[in-house]
Amino acid sequence: MTTTPTGATRPTGSGPGRLLVAIYGILALAATARGIYQVTTKLSEAPLAYLLSLLAGLVYCVATYALATNRRSIAWPAVLVELVGVLTVGTLSLVDVGEFPDETVWSGFGAGYGYIPLVLPFLGIWWLWSTGRAHADAKAVAGPPPVG
Amino acid sequence: MIVPVALLVGVLCLALAGWATWFVVVDRAVILRQLWGGAVIEAALVVQAVVAGVVLVVGDHDVDAALFWGYVITQLIVLPIAAAWAFAERTRWSSVVLLVAALTVGFLEYRLWQIWENS
Repeated sequence: MTTTPTGATRPTGSGPGRLLVAIYGILALAATARGIYQVTTKLSEAPLAYLLSLLAGLVYCVATYALATNRRSIAWPAVLVELVGVLTVGTLSLVDVGEFPDETVWSGFGAGYGYIPLVLPFLGIWWLWSTGRAHADAKAVAGPPPVG
Repeated sequence: MIVPVALLVGVLCLALAGWATWFVVVDRAVILRQLWGGAVIEAALVVQAVVAGVVLVVGDHDVDAALFWGYVITQLIVLPIAAAWAFAERTRWSSVVLLVAALTVGFLEYRLWQIWENS
């Protein structure tokens, strides 16, 4: 972990973040493409599930963009929405409520996508937190020296 | 879809993934030659898309068109973006990105094959 002398945060898209953004991007592409396909071809079958599917995809797009361009204030809510989404939809699909099963990236806690949708928000939160801490550490180091 | 091209894409993806894995091991960033490797895969994907399009128009093979072309477009997008994203990073992580991208394209090829066969 490197901290810059200016006290700037570590860019969220560098180092290991490069990989995180790449995985987010692939999931964003997969989920959005699937959502568009579902909404355009069979929306009437299960409107709620398919719109949610598309929404999930768009949230991943936002998270990818925010993490890639180091926009923390956008990345935090996007990642948190994903966490809430995957836990909520995952639980609902387990107890088999209505139209949820197997129709979104978040169904079955992302089982259809190798559980990556379940793991990613935690990785995202950890990454945002740890790169943000670099900011705090850098400020502490760059702070005024103690008097005396 | 034609079997030789699908197999070729699969083999090329695994080859690029292996190359990238080696670079991860020896702690190197993606080099230009690897991007050319990605371009070869991309060329094979374009050929495959054209052939599939011709077969669908001329032949009597039936496929869920929206699903199939959705996968084709997605698969075409992955490598160029991932390669550019990987190349801008000059650490080992750039090779990890290329590795993941190559495996993703390979997996999409497998799904594409499934969609083509099952319809």
